[in-house]
Amino acid sequence: MPEPEFKEDEVLTRASEGDRESFGLLYERYVDRIFNYVYYRTGNLHDAEDLTARVFQRAMNHIKNYTDRGVPFSAWLYRIAHNLVANWHRDRSRKQEIPLDDLPILPAKGDHPERNLVRSQEQDALLRLIRRLPPERQSLLILKFVENMSNSEIGEIMGRSEGAVKSLYHRTLLALRDQLGDQNINLEGE
Amino acid sequence: MTKRKQTPTPDEELNALEAHLAGTLKPVAPPKDIIQRLRDKVHVPAREEIVLRLRDWRSLFFIFGGVMSGMLVIITVARALFYLSGRRHTG
Repeated sequence: MPEPEFKEDEVLTRASEGDRESFGLLYERYVDRIFNYVYYRTGNLHDAEDLTARVFQRAMNHIKNYTDRGVPFSAWLYRIAHNLVANWHRDRSRKQEIPLDDLPILPAKGDHPERNLVRSQEQDALLRLIRRLPPERQSLLILKFVENMSNSEIGEIMGRSEGAVKSLYHRTLLALRDQLGDQNINLEGE
Repeated sequence: MTKRKQTPTPDEELNALEAHLAGTLKPVAPPKDIIQRLRDKVHVPAREEIVLRLRDWRSLFFIFGGVMSGMLVIITVARALFYLSGRRHTG
């Protein structure tokens, strides 16, 4: 069924007045993207599901407080996800749980479900290295590559300027390259 | 003459790394059962339900608009008849 067309401003107004169907439209539009972000940040499906639900529950409870001060609704939603994932990591480190290295494989969007269910060794190694980066750098890479966002959009979510995001991205690439070299991982050409 | 394997420049290394990141960090399709459970947890109506209700809302809007337009036409005609009959009596 095609996605119903709607103007986000109008839907946001109705949703902030407590209209559950309008909130449902926003949920439909963003659930996949938020799930993707949380999935890559947590590394497991169970927590990705739980945290995605909490993101939307929190958004629904606080949507009255959302006012468009130049920050798009999507950035507001990602900020909620960003904070919840940070809390989740903090709780895990307090409980001294072992970090999850192996991300469960899900089919990429647009691919046939039976295709692409195997990751190359290089991809596994790269994912492991990404998951050991500081949280902000992980978020940056996920927002840039998975969510396909520009530096300014990422800046809105992370509360940094566009220039600061650009610089952090460059430092992240250099750090990843050095770690790949330290571990003798050779990335073959694509 | 054999080709020597050139050492990539730092820029080439970073470009290659970016290409690998793009190939590794791809958007995934969440499993349907997870989306269904999420919908239940968040308590939002199913997508189909939302679309149907929107269609209902739209059709109600058109019916309301039609009725109002019809009433306007009837009132205008009635006023015209009333005016014409009034003129005939006075004439």
